[in-house]
Amino acid sequence: MALYLRLIGARVRGQLQYRGAFLANIVGYTLLTGLEFASIWVLLTRFGAVGGWSLAEVALLYGLTASANGIAQTVARGFDGPFEKLIMAGGLDTLLVRPAGAFFQVLASEFSLRTLGRTVQAGAVLVWAIGSLNIEWDLAKIVLVPLTILAGTLIYASIAVIGATVTIWTIKTPEVVHIATSGAQQLVSYPLHIYSEALRFVFLAIIPVAFSAYPCALWLLERGDPHGLPAALAWAAPLVALGFGALTLVFWRVGLARYQSTGT
Amino acid sequence: MTVYFAVATLAFRRMVAYRIALWSSVVNNLFWGSLICEVYRALYQGHGAVAGLTLDDAISYTWTTQAMISLGVGWVSGEIASTVRSGAVERDLTRPWSFYGYWLSRTLGEHTFNLLIRSTITYMFGVLVYGARLPAFVDLLSFVLVLVPGLLVGFAFVFLINATAFWLLDATGPMLLANVVLGFFSGFLLPLAYFPPWLQLVANALPFQAITNAPVLAWLGQSSGSQLGRVLVGQWFWAITMTLAALFVARRAYRHVVIQGG
Repeated sequence: MALYLRLIGARVRGQLQYRGAFLANIVGYTLLTGLEFASIWVLLTRFGAVGGWSLAEVALLYGLTASANGIAQTVARGFDGPFEKLIMAGGLDTLLVRPAGAFFQVLASEFSLRTLGRTVQAGAVLVWAIGSLNIEWDLAKIVLVPLTILAGTLIYASIAVIGATVTIWTIKTPEVVHIATSGAQQLVSYPLHIYSEALRFVFLAIIPVAFSAYPCALWLLERGDPHGLPAALAWAAPLVALGFGALTLVFWRVGLARYQSTGT
Repeated sequence: MTVYFAVATLAFRRMVAYRIALWSSVVNNLFWGSLICEVYRALYQGHGAVAGLTLDDAISYTWTTQAMISLGVGWVSGEIASTVRSGAVERDLTRPWSFYGYWLSRTLGEHTFNLLIRSTITYMFGVLVYGARLPAFVDLLSFVLVLVPGLLVGFAFVFLINATAFWLLDATGPMLLANVVLGFFSGFLLPLAYFPPWLQLVANALPFQAITNAPVLAWLGQSSGSQLGRVLVGQWFWAITMTLAALFVARRAYRHVVIQGG
């Protein structure tokens, strides 16, 4: 842990050296992700509701899932684009002979401040949504929100690790991985019940991104799911996330054991 | 002229070689198109036409924009900037041709391939699975008429953004912002018709609608007769203005060339 903080600290200081580029990046990223929400805003003001959910209710979904995605992108950045470059250049060989776990080293190799722009923007949407909705707060609900965001972060980070593991074989990150993260976030920003059964099944049971928002929102708003999802499912999010994370780690181990360097 | 035609032909043939890139991007288009259509179906429940568009129109709009992604309507390519960064730009600048003309013909060659293959595959999927409309022959013609100046506007914009690399060397920041603005104000992310009136006013005053929104509306058969004439005047106005602006910036940019390494 101490080593992780030292490595990450160096990364953060490094990014702060280029003050102008750093600020431009954060502003650009905040705008970019802000327009994601602007599209939702335009559609919902035109149509009034989607699947019976109002703008503020959809904003709650977006705020929850996009916050988690933002934090995951910041923390697990090392498994994303930089990992692809590492594999292509054969740099993973160096990590494997060092006296520390490869997983740890990749995790500690990047900490992207730029993607904080997404978290800031998503957090603002979340605060606005909570403020404009009449939620009757009790202890359980107050605990559920941070717990869900944490679980969502773990799920999004796991997808990044799965993408990295696939890259060990394919050398280039397949397009499917990018669809999984950016597509999933957009999909989960709308109430899950509007989708076909196949899509709902995939995003609850296979890549469980839906747990980053929908069940929690049902619990907070005290709404029922038209397809009969139990309300208590909201509390399963941390367990699902841990299970998904554990499976991901096993997959990573298998992938690493099969690693054949590019030889560069 | 023959040089530029040869460049365009070579670009076309190069695209033919990248088969896996072709299929992975088609899969990407299909996923997004399907996702957006499912959302529209839910949105349109209990609504007839919204802002002049029916559910049918929205679905056809979605598949047209997805099909046009490979024509550069949704994102800005950074190829020119990367040659500035690597120093390869020096080679292209010293050759006896117009640097702008070279990249324009190369881009148009790629677009022609994409339009014939990638766009067609994507749109046919939309037709077969989601019932996107096939246009009448007249609308197909007006689509092409509106699209051509639109592509010129799109390329001029791409060139302007890439040209910042002559000063900054790294165009990542401008590229990020350009993508945001292009995606939202061109009507790529969603039809401009859905925008609230004040935002539509802004969007219609900008050149970006010429790149996506105008050709798509022509495809949907919403610009015919005298309407088409008006649209075409607007399209060529932006095509000429943006190209002149790009050429002006290009002249100043060439004086800024810093050759990177050997």
